[in-house]
Amino acid sequence: MDKVIHFKIKRQDGPNSQPYWEEFKMPYAPQHNVISALLYLREHPVNTRGQRVAPVAWESNCMEEVCGACSMLVNGVPRQACAALVDDLEQPIVLEPLTKFPIIRDLAVDRQKMFDALIRVKAWVPLDGSQDVHEPAPRISPADQALRYVYSRCMTCGCCMEACPQYHDHSDFIGPALFGQVALHNSHPTGGFFKADRLHALMDPGGIAGCGNAQNCFKVCPKDIPLTHAIGELGRQTTVQWLRDLLMK
Amino acid sequence: MTDTTPGLLDRYQFQLRRLHSLSGIVPIGFFLLFHLLTNSTAFLGAERYDTHVQQIHDLPWLPVIEFLFIFLPLAFHGILGIAIAWQGKLNVRQYPYMDNWRYTLQRITAWITLVFVAIHLLHFRFAYWFGVPEYASAHPYFFAFTQKGFLHLWLPAWLWICMYVIGVSAAAFHFCNGIVTFCITWGITVGVESRKKLSLVAGVLCIVLMLWGFVSLYALTTMTRPAHGAAEAARGSEQRISTPYMARHETPSAARE
Repeated sequence: MDKVIHFKIKRQDGPNSQPYWEEFKMPYAPQHNVISALLYLREHPVNTRGQRVAPVAWESNCMEEVCGACSMLVNGVPRQACAALVDDLEQPIVLEPLTKFPIIRDLAVDRQKMFDALIRVKAWVPLDGSQDVHEPAPRISPADQALRYVYSRCMTCGCCMEACPQYHDHSDFIGPALFGQVALHNSHPTGGFFKADRLHALMDPGGIAGCGNAQNCFKVCPKDIPLTHAIGELGRQTTVQWLRDLLMK
Repeated sequence: MTDTTPGLLDRYQFQLRRLHSLSGIVPIGFFLLFHLLTNSTAFLGAERYDTHVQQIHDLPWLPVIEFLFIFLPLAFHGILGIAIAWQGKLNVRQYPYMDNWRYTLQRITAWITLVFVAIHLLHFRFAYWFGVPEYASAHPYFFAFTQKGFLHLWLPAWLWICMYVIGVSAAAFHFCNGIVTFCITWGITVGVESRKKLSLVAGVLCIVLMLWGFVSLYALTTMTRPAHGAAEAARGSEQRISTPYMARHETPSAARE
């Protein structure tokens, strides 16, 4: 049987060129995921019209949905291409680059603004002294550990940003992914040293005020991170911080 | 060199958005409830309606109260709301989740309510700009005056009623969904479960508010004064509507007795 896997891919040769659609067909093999299929197409870059074309460009690293690099729209859904199993997908499989980030080439996008935003909100735990502080590591209850573990699974893949109606070219909104990271680091005993700084960063233009409560972020997150919980929690924390700023200065 | 300092709107984005969220509940939401309460007294009879409207008109410092607690918050909420509405790129077709639908409807009902409030203000509060007598001049026959506004002013009655049904529904949805988003924004309902429960309560409240508004609309457009005072009322209000300036001076203090 000449069973095939049929791809319809939105391509773009460079950051400023026009996008176009190209279709590819490859022989079927069981248990392909989208990335492994793209690897095959890289070896045999022939489109459905029989032309040999430049291979499709994309990004991927881990192949196990933990690095966040292969985010793209698979049949219109923002997700990790490595975890999108061909056998589960409707054909033709439509691949498009994420729309909220600058395109580098084809399916590869530049997610730098997410990493810049992580710096903006100080999403790290500060070093607690550069010498022995004569203190044991802070103790964290199992319940806190469980919640923080979920937040820590964020891989900055950008799916939540893609689905957020408030996050786009013309808005200064920092985007939903950051709220999970701020909630994570604010709840850490040592990370909490920067709590006020992080909250002030969220109270700056483009911060938490940019959220429109559409709550798509939580629905599309491949790691099931409770981003809406983080937004509610940080809504509360910024309310308290605001009152603190107003009344205690 | 370009000026990169953020404008006032940007610099105080957080504070303004919080006040925007608050102003929708207090005072605008409370005003909406109070307004529905007063309107629905029409269902209890024209006389009750006239009495309650008169009580409002008797409030001391009424123009100040009206400006500070109604017009100013409405203008603030409306103007800032227009700016906020432009920030969203609706994507409910691609992500047809329930919460995304509510996000989308919150913006659609915002536009409808904005237009409706403008029409409503021109229809009753500022109709005197177009030569209709002032609402206050209807004293003490507010019911008859309001009814005439629906049945015999500018547009056919069915069109007014349609507009008010749509407008009241949009306002009720916008307010009730606004309660839910208010509680998220201020960090009152943090967890997903608490939001679901509040959404359920808000949904019930939304239906109650719609029905409450429809009852008032029904009463104001179809009910008539009790027979014993009907003729007098009709005569009284008609005269007052046609001769507003005289009416104010002539109004007998015990007209209803």
